[in-house]
Amino acid sequence: MPKALSTIIRIAKYTLSDEVRQKSLVVMFVICALFIFLIRGCYQGNYMVNGQVLDAGTVIRIVSKITFHVIAAGAMILTALLSMRVFRRDRDYGMQSCILSKPIARWQYVAGKILGLWALSSIFMFILHSIIFIIASINLKVVMPEYLIASLLCCFNLLFVVIAVLLLSLLMPDIIAFLCVIGIGVVSFVADGIFVLSHSQMAQAMVRQPGMQSELTWWQVAYYLWPKLSGTQQFASSFIGSEGPHEFGSIYSLINVLIYVFILVSLLFLRFRNEDII
Amino acid sequence: MSTTNPHFMPGPYFIDIRGRGTYIFYMIELYAVTKRYGSLVAVDNVSFCVKKGEYFALLGPNGAGKTTIVKMLLDFTKPSSGNLSVNGLPSTHAASRIAVGYLAENYHIPPYLSGWQYLQRCAELLEISRTDAIDHCRRIVELIGMRGREYSKVNTYSKGMIQRFGLGAVLIGNPKLLILDEPTAGLDPIGIREIRQLLESLKDQGMTIFLNSHLLSEVEKICDNAAIISSGRLLVKDTISALVKDGDTLEDVFVRFVKG
Repeated sequence: MPKALSTIIRIAKYTLSDEVRQKSLVVMFVICALFIFLIRGCYQGNYMVNGQVLDAGTVIRIVSKITFHVIAAGAMILTALLSMRVFRRDRDYGMQSCILSKPIARWQYVAGKILGLWALSSIFMFILHSIIFIIASINLKVVMPEYLIASLLCCFNLLFVVIAVLLLSLLMPDIIAFLCVIGIGVVSFVADGIFVLSHSQMAQAMVRQPGMQSELTWWQVAYYLWPKLSGTQQFASSFIGSEGPHEFGSIYSLINVLIYVFILVSLLFLRFRNEDII
Repeated sequence: MSTTNPHFMPGPYFIDIRGRGTYIFYMIELYAVTKRYGSLVAVDNVSFCVKKGEYFALLGPNGAGKTTIVKMLLDFTKPSSGNLSVNGLPSTHAASRIAVGYLAENYHIPPYLSGWQYLQRCAELLEISRTDAIDHCRRIVELIGMRGREYSKVNTYSKGMIQRFGLGAVLIGNPKLLILDEPTAGLDPIGIREIRQLLESLKDQGMTIFLNSHLLSEVEKICDNAAIISSGRLLVKDTISALVKDGDTLEDVFVRFVKG
Protein backbone atom coordinates (compact mmCIF):
# COMPACT_ATOMS: atom_id res chain seq x y z
CA MET A 1 0.00 0.00 0.00
CA PRO A 2 1.41 3.44 -0.83
CA LYS A 3 2.71 5.28 2.24
CA ALA A 4 0.45 8.29 1.68
CA LEU A 5 -2.62 6.06 1.60
CA SER A 6 -1.64 4.11 4.70
CA THR A 7 -1.21 7.40 6.61
CA ILE A 8 -4.66 8.57 5.48
CA ILE A 9 -6.22 5.28 6.57
CA ARG A 10 -4.45 5.48 9.93
CA ILE A 11 -5.76 9.01 10.58
CA ALA A 12 -9.22 7.88 9.46
CA LYS A 13 -9.02 4.99 11.93
CA TYR A 14 -8.12 7.35 14.78
CA THR A 15 -10.94 9.72 13.81
CA LEU A 16 -13.41 6.87 13.77
CA SER A 17 -12.30 5.45 17.13
CA ASP A 18 -12.23 8.92 18.75
CA GLU A 19 -15.79 9.61 17.62
CA VAL A 20 -17.07 6.20 18.74
CA ARG A 21 -15.67 6.89 22.22
CA GLN A 22 -18.17 9.72 22.60
CA LYS A 23 -21.06 8.58 24.76
CA SER A 24 -23.50 10.95 23.04
CA LEU A 25 -22.95 9.13 19.74
CA VAL A 26 -23.60 5.74 21.30
CA VAL A 27 -26.75 7.00 23.05
CA MET A 28 -27.99 8.53 19.81
CA PHE A 29 -27.36 5.30 17.94
CA VAL A 30 -29.25 3.22 20.52
CA ILE A 31 -32.23 5.61 20.44
CA CYS A 32 -32.31 5.51 16.63
CA ALA A 33 -32.09 1.71 16.59
CA LEU A 34 -34.96 1.42 19.10
CA PHE A 35 -37.04 3.84 17.07
CA ILE A 36 -36.42 1.77 13.95
CA PHE A 37 -37.48 -1.40 15.80
CA LEU A 38 -40.74 0.30 16.77
CA ILE A 39 -41.45 1.01 13.12
CA ARG A 40 -41.89 -2.71 12.44
CA GLY A 41 -45.47 -2.41 13.76
CA CYS A 42 -46.29 -0.11 10.83
CA TYR A 43 -45.80 -3.00 8.40
CA GLN A 44 -48.61 -5.02 10.00
CA GLY A 45 -51.45 -2.50 9.99
CA ASN A 46 -54.39 -2.36 7.53
CA TYR A 47 -54.35 0.77 5.44
CA MET A 48 -57.24 2.17 3.41
CA VAL A 49 -56.91 4.79 0.73
CA ASN A 50 -60.09 6.10 -0.95
CA GLY A 51 -62.01 3.24 0.62
CA GLN A 52 -59.72 0.58 -0.80
CA VAL A 53 -57.51 -1.61 1.33
CA LEU A 54 -53.87 -1.41 0.28
CA ASP A 55 -52.24 -4.71 -0.53
CA ALA A 56 -49.32 -5.94 1.57
CA GLY A 57 -46.75 -5.30 -1.19
CA THR A 58 -47.72 -1.62 -1.49
CA VAL A 59 -47.67 -1.20 2.29
CA ILE A 60 -44.19 -2.73 2.53
CA ARG A 61 -42.88 -0.55 -0.29
CA ILE A 62 -44.36 2.68 1.08
CA VAL A 63 -43.38 2.09 4.72
CA SER A 64 -39.88 1.01 3.68
CA LYS A 65 -39.46 4.11 1.56
CA ILE A 66 -40.68 6.47 4.27
CA THR A 67 -38.34 4.85 6.79
CA PHE A 68 -35.54 5.00 4.26
CA HIS A 69 -35.98 8.76 3.85
CA VAL A 70 -36.28 9.40 7.61
CA ILE A 71 -33.07 7.47 8.32
CA ALA A 72 -31.17 9.10 5.46
CA ALA A 73 -32.22 12.62 6.52
CA GLY A 74 -31.47 11.86 10.18
CA ALA A 75 -28.05 10.50 9.24
CA MET A 76 -27.28 13.77 7.46
CA ILE A 77 -28.07 15.77 10.61
CA LEU A 78 -26.00 13.42 12.73
CA THR A 79 -23.09 13.64 10.27
CA ALA A 80 -23.17 17.43 10.40
CA LEU A 81 -23.17 17.28 14.22
CA LEU A 82 -20.20 14.89 14.22
CA SER A 83 -18.20 16.91 11.70
CA MET A 84 -18.67 20.38 13.10
CA ARG A 85 -16.24 20.10 16.03
CA VAL A 86 -13.64 17.76 14.60
CA PHE A 87 -10.95 20.32 13.75
CA ARG A 88 -11.51 22.28 16.95
CA ARG A 89 -11.33 19.17 19.13
CA ASP A 90 -8.14 18.02 17.41
CA ARG A 91 -6.66 21.47 17.99
CA ASP A 92 -7.71 21.59 21.64
CA TYR A 93 -6.40 18.11 22.40
CA GLY A 94 -3.11 18.73 20.61
CA MET A 95 -3.65 16.00 18.01
CA GLN A 96 -3.44 18.42 15.09
CA SER A 97 0.01 19.68 16.05
CA CYS A 98 1.08 16.15 17.01
CA ILE A 99 0.13 14.75 13.59
CA LEU A 100 1.35 17.67 11.51
CA SER A 101 4.71 17.85 13.28
CA LYS A 102 5.40 14.45 11.76
CA PRO A 103 6.23 13.97 8.07
CA ILE A 104 2.55 14.04 7.17
CA ALA A 105 1.22 16.50 4.61
CA ARG A 106 -1.80 18.61 5.46
CA TRP A 107 -3.86 17.13 2.65
CA GLN A 108 -3.27 13.66 4.12
CA TYR A 109 -4.52 14.84 7.50
CA VAL A 110 -7.68 16.39 5.99
CA ALA A 111 -8.28 13.37 3.76
CA GLY A 112 -7.97 11.10 6.82
CA LYS A 113 -10.49 13.19 8.73
CA ILE A 114 -12.96 13.15 5.82
CA LEU A 115 -12.57 9.42 5.33
CA GLY A 116 -13.01 8.66 9.03
CA LEU A 117 -16.13 10.77 9.42
CA TRP A 118 -17.62 9.53 6.18
CA ALA A 119 -17.00 5.91 7.11
CA LEU A 120 -18.51 6.37 10.57
CA SER A 121 -21.65 8.15 9.39
CA SER A 122 -22.11 5.72 6.49
CA ILE A 123 -21.77 2.72 8.81
CA PHE A 124 -24.27 4.35 11.18
CA MET A 125 -26.81 4.87 8.38
CA PHE A 126 -26.16 1.49 6.80
CA ILE A 127 -26.78 -0.33 10.10
CA LEU A 128 -30.09 1.49 10.60
CA HIS A 129 -31.13 0.69 7.04
CA SER A 130 -30.02 -2.90 7.57
CA ILE A 131 -32.37 -3.18 10.56
CA ILE A 132 -35.29 -2.36 8.26
CA PHE A 133 -33.94 -4.79 5.69
CA ILE A 134 -33.76 -7.55 8.32
CA ILE A 135 -37.25 -6.78 9.70
CA ALA A 136 -38.70 -6.93 6.18
CA SER A 137 -36.78 -10.10 5.36
CA ILE A 138 -37.61 -12.06 8.54
CA ASN A 139 -41.08 -10.87 9.53
CA LEU A 140 -42.58 -10.18 6.14
CA LYS A 141 -40.58 -12.70 4.08
CA VAL A 142 -39.76 -9.93 1.62
CA VAL A 143 -36.10 -9.68 0.68
CA MET A 144 -35.18 -6.23 -0.62
CA PRO A 145 -31.46 -6.19 -1.51
CA GLU A 146 -32.08 -2.96 -3.40
CA TYR A 147 -32.71 -1.34 -0.03
CA LEU A 148 -29.05 -1.73 0.85
CA ILE A 149 -27.95 -0.51 -2.58
CA ALA A 150 -30.09 2.59 -2.06
CA SER A 151 -28.46 3.08 1.34
CA LEU A 152 -24.99 2.97 -0.23
CA LEU A 153 -26.04 5.55 -2.83
CA CYS A 154 -27.19 7.86 -0.03
CA CYS A 155 -23.65 7.79 1.39
CA PHE A 156 -22.67 10.40 -1.20
CA ASN A 157 -25.00 12.86 0.56
CA LEU A 158 -23.12 12.16 3.79
CA LEU A 159 -19.81 12.80 2.04
CA PHE A 160 -21.15 16.16 0.88
CA VAL A 161 -22.25 17.01 4.44
CA VAL A 162 -18.88 16.02 5.98
CA ILE A 163 -16.85 18.11 3.52
CA ALA A 164 -19.20 21.11 3.61
CA VAL A 165 -19.25 21.23 7.43
CA LEU A 166 -15.46 20.80 7.69
CA LEU A 167 -14.89 23.59 5.17
CA LEU A 168 -17.38 25.98 6.76
CA SER A 169 -16.07 25.23 10.27
CA LEU A 170 -12.74 26.72 9.14
CA LEU A 171 -14.47 29.90 8.06
CA MET A 172 -17.09 30.48 10.75
CA PRO A 173 -18.15 29.29 14.22
CA ASP A 174 -18.93 25.56 14.34
CA ILE A 175 -22.61 25.93 15.13
CA ILE A 176 -23.11 28.38 12.23
CA ALA A 177 -21.34 25.93 9.92
CA PHE A 178 -23.70 23.19 11.11
CA LEU A 179 -26.77 25.37 10.61
CA CYS A 180 -25.63 26.48 7.15
CA VAL A 181 -25.27 22.91 5.92
CA ILE A 182 -28.58 21.89 7.48
CA GLY A 183 -30.07 24.96 5.76
CA ILE A 184 -28.69 23.79 2.41
CA GLY A 185 -30.35 20.41 2.99
CA VAL A 186 -33.68 21.93 4.06
CA VAL A 187 -33.77 24.25 1.03
CA SER A 188 -33.00 21.27 -1.19
CA PHE A 189 -35.91 19.26 0.26
CA VAL A 190 -38.35 22.19 0.20
CA ALA A 191 -37.37 23.14 -3.37
CA ASP A 192 -37.87 19.57 -4.55
CA GLY A 193 -41.26 19.51 -2.84
CA ILE A 194 -42.32 22.75 -4.52
CA PHE A 195 -40.97 21.50 -7.84
CA VAL A 196 -43.03 18.29 -7.60
CA LEU A 197 -46.14 20.26 -6.60
CA SER A 198 -45.71 22.81 -9.34
CA HIS A 199 -45.43 20.02 -11.89
CA SER A 200 -48.53 18.20 -10.68
CA GLN A 201 -51.47 18.09 -13.06
CA MET A 202 -53.61 20.23 -10.79
CA ALA A 203 -50.98 22.94 -10.46
CA GLN A 204 -50.33 22.87 -14.20
CA ALA A 205 -54.02 23.31 -14.90
CA MET A 206 -54.28 26.20 -12.43
CA VAL A 207 -51.35 28.21 -13.73
CA ARG A 208 -51.65 27.43 -17.42
CA GLN A 209 -52.66 30.42 -19.45
CA PRO A 210 -53.24 30.65 -23.17
CA GLY A 211 -50.13 31.68 -25.10
CA MET A 212 -47.83 31.15 -22.13
CA GLN A 213 -44.45 29.66 -23.02
CA SER A 214 -42.14 27.73 -20.78
CA GLU A 215 -39.07 29.85 -19.97
CA LEU A 216 -36.04 29.16 -17.89
CA THR A 217 -36.33 31.58 -15.00
CA TRP A 218 -33.61 32.49 -12.51
CA TRP A 219 -35.17 30.41 -9.78
CA GLN A 220 -35.24 27.38 -12.06
CA VAL A 221 -31.54 27.87 -12.71
CA ALA A 222 -30.95 28.17 -8.93
CA TYR A 223 -33.06 25.05 -8.40
CA TYR A 224 -30.96 22.98 -10.79
CA LEU A 225 -27.64 24.34 -9.50
CA TRP A 226 -28.48 23.97 -5.80
CA PRO A 227 -26.92 20.92 -4.10
CA LYS A 228 -29.48 18.22 -4.81
CA LEU A 229 -29.38 16.28 -1.56
CA SER A 230 -33.09 15.56 -1.71
CA GLY A 231 -32.82 14.54 -5.37
CA THR A 232 -30.03 12.07 -4.60
CA GLN A 233 -32.11 10.57 -1.83
CA GLN A 234 -35.08 10.29 -4.22
CA PHE A 235 -32.85 8.69 -6.83
CA ALA A 236 -31.56 6.18 -4.29
CA SER A 237 -35.06 5.37 -3.02
CA SER A 238 -36.28 4.79 -6.56
CA PHE A 239 -34.36 1.51 -6.42
CA ILE A 240 -36.66 0.28 -3.64
CA GLY A 241 -39.68 -1.71 -4.68
CA SER A 242 -40.74 -2.38 -8.22
CA GLU A 243 -40.17 1.10 -9.56
CA GLY A 244 -37.76 1.23 -12.38
CA PRO A 245 -35.21 3.95 -12.22
CA HIS A 246 -33.79 6.04 -13.84
CA GLU A 247 -33.92 8.61 -16.52
CA PHE A 248 -31.16 11.22 -16.74
CA GLY A 249 -33.15 13.68 -14.61
CA SER A 250 -32.82 11.54 -11.51
CA ILE A 251 -29.16 10.62 -12.07
CA TYR A 252 -28.46 14.35 -12.49
CA SER A 253 -28.98 14.79 -8.73
CA LEU A 254 -26.21 12.33 -7.95
CA ILE A 255 -23.89 13.95 -10.49
CA ASN A 256 -24.73 17.37 -9.02
CA VAL A 257 -23.77 16.21 -5.51
CA LEU A 258 -20.55 14.57 -6.78
CA ILE A 259 -19.54 17.79 -8.55
CA TYR A 260 -20.16 19.73 -5.34
CA VAL A 261 -18.09 17.19 -3.41
CA PHE A 262 -15.21 17.67 -5.84
CA ILE A 263 -15.40 21.48 -5.65
CA LEU A 264 -15.74 21.60 -1.86
CA VAL A 265 -12.95 19.14 -1.20
CA SER A 266 -10.62 21.20 -3.41
CA LEU A 267 -11.58 24.34 -1.49
CA LEU A 268 -11.09 22.52 1.82
CA PHE A 269 -7.57 21.39 0.87
CA LEU A 270 -6.70 24.89 -0.32
CA ARG A 271 -8.10 26.53 2.80
CA PHE A 272 -6.46 24.13 5.22
CA ARG A 273 -3.10 24.52 3.46
CA ASN A 274 -2.99 28.12 4.65
CA GLU A 275 -4.49 27.48 8.07
CA ASP A 276 -2.33 28.38 11.08
CA ILE A 277 -1.84 25.36 13.35
CA ILE A 278 -2.08 26.27 17.01
CA MET B 1 27.97 38.35 16.69
CA SER B 2 25.16 36.57 14.85
CA THR B 3 26.25 33.87 12.46
CA THR B 4 24.43 32.93 9.29
CA ASN B 5 25.26 30.64 6.45
CA PRO B 6 26.46 32.99 3.70
CA HIS B 7 25.70 30.34 1.08
CA PHE B 8 22.07 29.97 2.08
CA MET B 9 19.93 29.28 -0.94
CA PRO B 10 16.43 27.81 -1.00
CA GLY B 11 16.52 24.11 -1.77
CA PRO B 12 18.08 20.97 -0.30
CA TYR B 13 21.33 21.52 1.60
CA PHE B 14 23.38 18.39 1.37
CA ILE B 15 27.11 18.18 1.36
CA ASP B 16 28.48 15.12 -0.38
CA ILE B 17 31.59 13.97 1.47
CA ARG B 18 33.88 12.34 -1.07
CA GLY B 19 31.02 10.44 -2.61
CA ARG B 20 30.21 8.65 0.64
CA GLY B 21 26.66 9.85 0.65
CA THR B 22 25.05 13.00 1.89
CA TYR B 23 25.66 14.87 5.09
CA ILE B 24 23.55 17.69 6.43
CA PHE B 25 25.71 20.35 8.03
CA TYR B 26 22.98 22.69 9.23
CA MET B 27 19.90 21.12 10.78
CA ILE B 28 18.06 24.44 10.91
CA GLU B 29 18.54 27.51 8.79
CA LEU B 30 16.62 30.74 8.81
CA TYR B 31 17.37 33.41 6.29
CA ALA B 32 15.83 36.88 6.52
CA VAL B 33 12.63 35.47 8.00
CA THR B 34 9.85 37.92 8.72
CA LYS B 35 6.37 37.16 10.01
CA ARG B 36 3.65 39.77 10.14
CA TYR B 37 0.18 39.49 11.66
CA GLY B 38 -1.53 42.48 10.10
CA SER B 39 0.46 45.51 11.26
CA LEU B 40 2.22 43.55 14.04
CA VAL B 41 5.70 42.28 13.14
CA ALA B 42 6.16 39.13 15.22
CA VAL B 43 9.50 38.14 13.66
CA ASP B 44 11.63 40.74 11.97
CA ASN B 45 14.28 39.72 9.44
CA VAL B 46 15.80 36.95 11.55
CA SER B 47 18.66 34.83 10.21
CA PHE B 48 20.62 32.11 11.97
CA CYS B 49 21.68 28.49 11.61
CA VAL B 50 21.85 25.52 13.97
CA LYS B 51 24.52 22.95 13.23
CA LYS B 52 24.02 19.23 13.42
CA GLY B 53 24.57 17.92 16.93
CA GLU B 54 24.30 21.38 18.46
CA TYR B 55 22.25 22.15 21.59
CA PHE B 56 20.76 25.51 20.75
CA ALA B 57 18.59 27.73 22.91
CA LEU B 58 16.34 30.48 21.63
CA LEU B 59 15.80 32.94 24.42
CA GLY B 60 13.57 35.94 24.69
CA PRO B 61 10.90 37.58 26.81
CA ASN B 62 7.23 36.70 26.38
CA GLY B 63 5.92 37.79 22.98
CA ALA B 64 9.43 38.02 21.51
CA GLY B 65 8.51 35.70 18.62
CA LYS B 66 10.15 32.46 19.79
CA THR B 67 7.08 30.28 19.37
CA THR B 68 6.34 31.91 16.01
CA ILE B 69 9.80 30.85 14.80
CA VAL B 70 9.14 27.30 16.02
CA LYS B 71 5.80 27.26 14.21
CA MET B 72 7.42 28.43 11.00
CA LEU B 73 10.07 25.71 11.30
CA LEU B 74 7.30 23.12 11.47
CA ASP B 75 5.26 24.80 8.73
CA PHE B 76 2.44 25.47 11.19
CA THR B 77 2.43 29.03 9.94
CA LYS B 78 3.93 30.54 6.80
CA PRO B 79 6.58 33.26 6.93
CA SER B 80 5.63 36.58 5.34
CA SER B 81 9.07 36.61 3.74
CA GLY B 82 12.37 34.78 3.99
CA ASN B 83 13.40 31.13 3.84
CA LEU B 84 13.57 28.37 6.43
CA SER B 85 15.05 24.94 6.11
CA VAL B 86 14.92 21.96 8.44
CA ASN B 87 16.89 18.77 7.90
CA GLY B 88 18.27 20.24 4.69
CA LEU B 89 14.86 20.77 3.11
CA PRO B 90 12.57 23.79 2.92
CA SER B 91 10.28 23.70 5.95
CA THR B 92 7.20 23.61 3.70
CA HIS B 93 8.12 20.05 2.64
CA ALA B 94 6.55 17.36 4.82
CA ALA B 95 9.78 15.40 4.34
CA SER B 96 11.68 18.07 6.29
CA ARG B 97 9.93 16.75 9.41
CA ILE B 98 11.35 13.23 9.04
CA ALA B 99 13.27 12.47 12.25
CA VAL B 100 12.05 15.67 13.91
CA GLY B 101 10.40 15.56 17.32
CA TYR B 102 8.34 18.51 18.52
CA LEU B 103 7.21 19.17 22.06
CA ALA B 104 4.71 22.01 22.23
CA GLU B 105 4.39 24.48 25.07
CA ASN B 106 1.49 23.40 27.33
CA TYR B 107 1.41 19.95 25.82
CA HIS B 108 -2.01 18.35 25.39
CA ILE B 109 -3.00 14.72 25.00
CA PRO B 110 -6.59 13.61 24.29
CA PRO B 111 -8.02 12.92 27.78
CA TYR B 112 -9.84 9.76 26.70
CA LEU B 113 -6.60 7.99 25.73
CA SER B 114 -4.10 6.37 28.05
CA GLY B 115 -0.46 7.44 27.92
CA TRP B 116 0.38 4.09 26.35
CA GLN B 117 -2.25 4.46 23.62
CA TYR B 118 -0.96 7.93 22.86
CA LEU B 119 2.62 6.74 22.52
CA GLN B 120 1.47 3.91 20.26
CA ARG B 121 -0.41 6.32 18.06
CA CYS B 122 2.67 8.48 17.72
CA ALA B 123 4.72 5.40 16.81
CA GLU B 124 2.17 4.26 14.22
CA LEU B 125 2.09 7.72 12.65
CA LEU B 126 5.84 7.35 12.10
CA GLU B 127 5.18 4.08 10.24
CA ILE B 128 6.84 1.99 12.96
CA SER B 129 5.58 -1.59 12.84
CA ARG B 130 3.30 -2.77 15.65
CA THR B 131 5.85 -5.04 17.31
CA ASP B 132 8.62 -2.45 17.08
CA ALA B 133 6.21 0.18 18.38
CA ILE B 134 5.50 -1.88 21.51
CA ASP B 135 9.23 -2.30 22.22
CA HIS B 136 9.82 1.36 21.53
CA CYS B 137 6.98 2.51 23.79
CA ARG B 138 8.13 0.24 26.64
CA ARG B 139 11.61 1.74 26.46
CA ILE B 140 10.18 5.26 26.37
CA VAL B 141 7.92 4.63 29.37
CA GLU B 142 10.99 3.51 31.34
CA LEU B 143 12.95 6.50 30.14
CA ILE B 144 10.35 9.06 31.24
CA GLY B 145 9.82 7.28 34.56
CA MET B 146 6.15 6.57 34.05
CA ARG B 147 6.11 2.81 34.45
CA GLY B 148 2.96 1.67 36.23
CA ARG B 149 0.95 4.70 35.11
CA GLU B 150 1.08 4.19 31.37
CA TYR B 151 -2.31 2.46 31.14
CA SER B 152 -4.20 5.09 33.15
CA LYS B 153 -6.36 7.59 31.27
CA VAL B 154 -4.67 10.90 30.55
CA ASN B 155 -7.39 12.81 32.43
CA THR B 156 -5.99 11.27 35.65
CA TYR B 157 -2.47 12.65 34.96
CA SER B 158 -0.95 15.79 36.42
CA LYS B 159 0.41 18.49 34.10
CA GLY B 160 3.94 17.29 34.77
CA MET B 161 3.02 13.72 33.85
CA ILE B 162 1.46 14.89 30.59
CA GLN B 163 4.66 16.82 29.87
CA ARG B 164 6.69 13.66 30.46
CA PHE B 165 4.51 11.65 28.09
CA GLY B 166 4.83 14.51 25.61
CA LEU B 167 8.58 14.28 25.81
CA GLY B 168 8.33 10.51 25.48
CA ALA B 169 6.22 10.86 22.35
CA VAL B 170 8.81 13.22 20.91
CA LEU B 171 11.58 10.65 21.42
CA ILE B 172 9.78 7.90 19.52
CA GLY B 173 11.51 6.96 16.29
CA ASN B 174 14.95 8.18 17.44
CA PRO B 175 14.66 11.70 16.01
CA LYS B 176 17.77 13.57 14.91
CA LEU B 177 16.34 16.97 15.78
CA LEU B 178 14.25 17.87 18.81
CA ILE B 179 12.33 21.12 18.84
CA LEU B 180 11.29 21.73 22.43
CA ASP B 181 9.08 24.65 23.36
CA GLU B 182 9.28 25.15 27.13
CA PRO B 183 9.85 21.44 27.88
CA THR B 184 9.99 21.96 31.63
CA ALA B 185 6.77 23.97 31.90
CA GLY B 186 4.64 22.58 34.71
CA LEU B 187 7.35 20.32 36.12
CA ASP B 188 8.54 20.37 39.72
CA PRO B 189 12.27 20.91 40.45
CA ILE B 190 12.92 17.16 40.49
CA GLY B 191 11.13 16.77 37.17
CA ILE B 192 13.14 19.65 35.72
CA ARG B 193 16.36 18.00 36.79
CA GLU B 194 15.29 14.67 35.31
CA ILE B 195 14.44 16.29 32.00
CA ARG B 196 17.79 18.07 32.00
CA GLN B 197 19.60 14.79 32.67
CA LEU B 198 17.61 13.13 29.91
CA LEU B 199 18.50 15.86 27.43
CA GLU B 200 22.15 15.65 28.44
CA SER B 201 22.13 11.90 27.85
CA LEU B 202 20.80 12.48 24.32
CA LYS B 203 23.84 14.58 23.51
CA ASP B 204 25.95 11.46 23.20
CA GLN B 205 23.63 10.15 20.49
CA GLY B 206 24.42 13.13 18.24
CA MET B 207 20.97 14.61 18.53
CA THR B 208 20.38 18.27 17.70
CA ILE B 209 18.20 20.20 20.11
CA PHE B 210 16.43 23.48 19.50
CA LEU B 211 15.20 24.68 22.85
CA ASN B 212 12.81 27.49 23.70
CA SER B 213 13.00 28.13 27.39
CA HIS B 214 12.70 30.69 30.12
CA LEU B 215 14.74 28.60 32.54
CA LEU B 216 18.06 30.27 31.86
CA SER B 217 19.94 28.30 34.51
CA GLU B 218 18.97 25.06 32.77
CA VAL B 219 19.85 26.45 29.35
CA GLU B 220 23.25 27.50 30.68
CA LYS B 221 23.89 23.96 31.89
CA ILE B 222 22.95 22.02 28.78
CA CYS B 223 23.19 24.25 25.69
CA ASP B 224 26.22 25.00 23.53
CA ASN B 225 24.80 28.02 21.73
CA ALA B 226 22.06 30.53 22.31
CA ALA B 227 20.31 33.35 20.52
CA ILE B 228 18.38 36.12 22.21
CA ILE B 229 15.48 37.76 20.44
CA SER B 230 13.28 40.60 21.54
CA SER B 231 10.32 42.18 19.74
CA GLY B 232 10.93 39.79 16.86
CA ARG B 233 14.54 40.92 16.31
CA LEU B 234 17.63 38.81 16.76
CA LEU B 235 19.84 40.60 19.28
CA VAL B 236 22.69 38.16 19.58
CA LYS B 237 23.71 34.61 18.71
CA ASP B 238 26.85 33.02 20.08
CA THR B 239 28.21 30.19 22.16
CA ILE B 240 27.16 30.14 25.79
CA SER B 241 30.79 30.44 26.87
CA ALA B 242 31.24 33.56 24.73
CA LEU B 243 28.04 35.10 26.03
CA VAL B 244 28.60 34.34 29.70
CA LYS B 245 31.93 35.60 31.02
CA ASP B 246 33.50 37.55 33.87
CA GLY B 247 31.35 36.01 36.59
CA ASP B 248 28.09 36.85 34.83
CA THR B 249 25.21 34.45 34.55
CA LEU B 250 23.12 33.87 31.44
CA GLU B 251 20.34 35.70 33.24
CA ASP B 252 22.52 38.82 33.54
CA VAL B 253 23.40 38.62 29.85
CA PHE B 254 19.75 38.09 28.92
CA VAL B 255 18.55 41.09 30.94
CA ARG B 256 21.32 43.28 29.59
CA PHE B 257 20.48 42.49 25.98
CA VAL B 258 16.70 42.64 26.32
CA LYS B 259 16.73 45.92 28.25
CA GLY B 260 19.15 47.32 25.72
